Amino acid sequence: MSDQTALGAVGLFEKHRAELKASKRTMNLIMLAAFLVCLALSVYISQFYPERLANGIPRIFEYFGTIIPNLQWEVLFEGRTEDGRAVAGSITYWYTDFWTYVTLIWETILMAITATLIGTAVAFVLSFPAAANLAPNSWIYWISRRFLEICRGIPEILLALVFVFMIGIGPLAGVIAIAIHSAGALGKLFAEVNENASARPVEGITAVGGTWVQKMAYGVVPQVTPNFVSYALLRFEVNVRASSIIGFVGAGGIGQELNRVISFYSDDRVLAVLILVVLMVTLIDLLSERLRLGYIGRENFA
Amino acid sequence: MLKLEKLTRRFGETAAVDNVTLDIPDGQMVGIIGRSGAGKSTLLRLLNRLTDPSDGQILFGDTDIAQLKGRALRQWRSDCAMIFQQFNLVGRLDVLTNVLTGRLFDLPGWRALAQVYTPQERAFAVQALDRLTMAHTALQRAETLSGGQQQRVAIARALAQEPKILLADEPIASLDPLNAKVVMDALRTINQQDGITVICNLHTLDTARDYCDRIIGMQAGRVVFDGTPAQLTHGMARDIYGAEADEALNEGATSTNLAARRPAEPAHALV
Repeated sequence: MSDQTALGAVGLFEKHRAELKASKRTMNLIMLAAFLVCLALSVYISQFYPERLANGIPRIFEYFGTIIPNLQWEVLFEGRTEDGRAVAGSITYWYTDFWTYVTLIWETILMAITATLIGTAVAFVLSFPAAANLAPNSWIYWISRRFLEICRGIPEILLALVFVFMIGIGPLAGVIAIAIHSAGALGKLFAEVNENASARPVEGITAVGGTWVQKMAYGVVPQVTPNFVSYALLRFEVNVRASSIIGFVGAGGIGQELNRVISFYSDDRVLAVLILVVLMVTLIDLLSERLRLGYIGRENFA
Repeated sequence: MLKLEKLTRRFGETAAVDNVTLDIPDGQMVGIIGRSGAGKSTLLRLLNRLTDPSDGQILFGDTDIAQLKGRALRQWRSDCAMIFQQFNLVGRLDVLTNVLTGRLFDLPGWRALAQVYTPQERAFAVQALDRLTMAHTALQRAETLSGGQQQRVAIARALAQEPKILLADEPIASLDPLNAKVVMDALRTINQQDGITVICNLHTLDTARDYCDRIIGMQAGRVVFDGTPAQLTHGMARDIYGAEADEALNEGATSTNLAARRPAEPAHALV
């Protein structure tokens, strides 16, 4: 008797399972077909064909050929001659504008720091009303959410163009553009961290008669600070990269010089700048990762 | 005197607290018992307005607590401290700052934000901690403490509020029997020495019997018993707890009565 019921239960289960699988199969086939159509369309529109790619590859090396410096081993480490000229083929000759580059790289890093600080501050303030569980009312929630979306929705380079037009060429336009985009991107991340914060401390502060601001400052901020710091440092790394290209539209930093050497000379100076940019980005990434891991480690094991 | 008049809270169709009318004189220690979902927590949370009532009045003197808003509401919460089952401390802040949050209502806004406290305020907080023998942990992070210690810090935070009423929502439900006893003893001492009204939700009956002047039994949102521990017969208690009676009346479960945990005394000794 019990065997029969068991078999009946298994049979019923198998039947349901087969039905479920069948209904899923139809859906999967439709999705697959839709995907293939989209893929075919995008290949056609972008003309992404293997032979075009194959034809293009040698040209990459052609370009590299034009920007590789013509270094000569015998004079590689020659300094400047008495009349202040660099010897062709030496590193000094290749990096004639070294100090200009370094100054601009320094400016790039400062731009990234300033933009990250401003962006983080705005994101911090807005992340509390933009968190569904903390917003004092749905109006404030809606407005702060949309505001952050607009901030991160507009690409930095577009913002930079607008600000260069408004306030003129120079790093200020770049800093404002990157700060606005950072505020939007970080604000969303911060708000999501806030939404995962435990409600218990917040309730504790409510129960002692705390205001909304006090609930945030005492109940939420201590919980979320390590995550905020970690995200802000990650954003700093992103912003270093952003501020090194934003100069292409005249918004300050090394990008301006990179744009100049590419459009005016397209010779070994391009590579000289590129090497410095890659070095800077790598160093900043390493440094920031060290900081981040160190801070998180200290916070978790304190 | 705290007077509840036809206090009701509905969640959708169900009334979690249904037409409750009670008078609680100053300085009483009241235990509210009942099975899970009987409305004990909702009743307590209505009293400090963590939950808003659907109907009825909460009168303290001439003020209707149910109508308070903004600053007046925060002042009432500051006068009506609450202790939670899960302590609700800020784990990443140190113990002293947690206790000092009890003073938030009286603090000027900028000092609260910058966490600037006067030496007098710090001394007051340390004294509150010392009453619960927790002063030595003042500079530790709250999350490093055990459950029983955290609950004592939570009581110190409540004391820092200098409250008129102390609400305790299942204060010992997450604690082992020894810590449960320490916490209940502390609540009783505060009630007797400071004359603060204590209203305490309890799951186990023997704790309510041991510590409270008055027991209120709740069932499906209504008050079904209101009297002294002596008036609460075993049959009545079984009624209040229904299907959970065996668990709630078993003194070994989460009881503060350490002696009852000895295996020599079987559970049916109650009957």
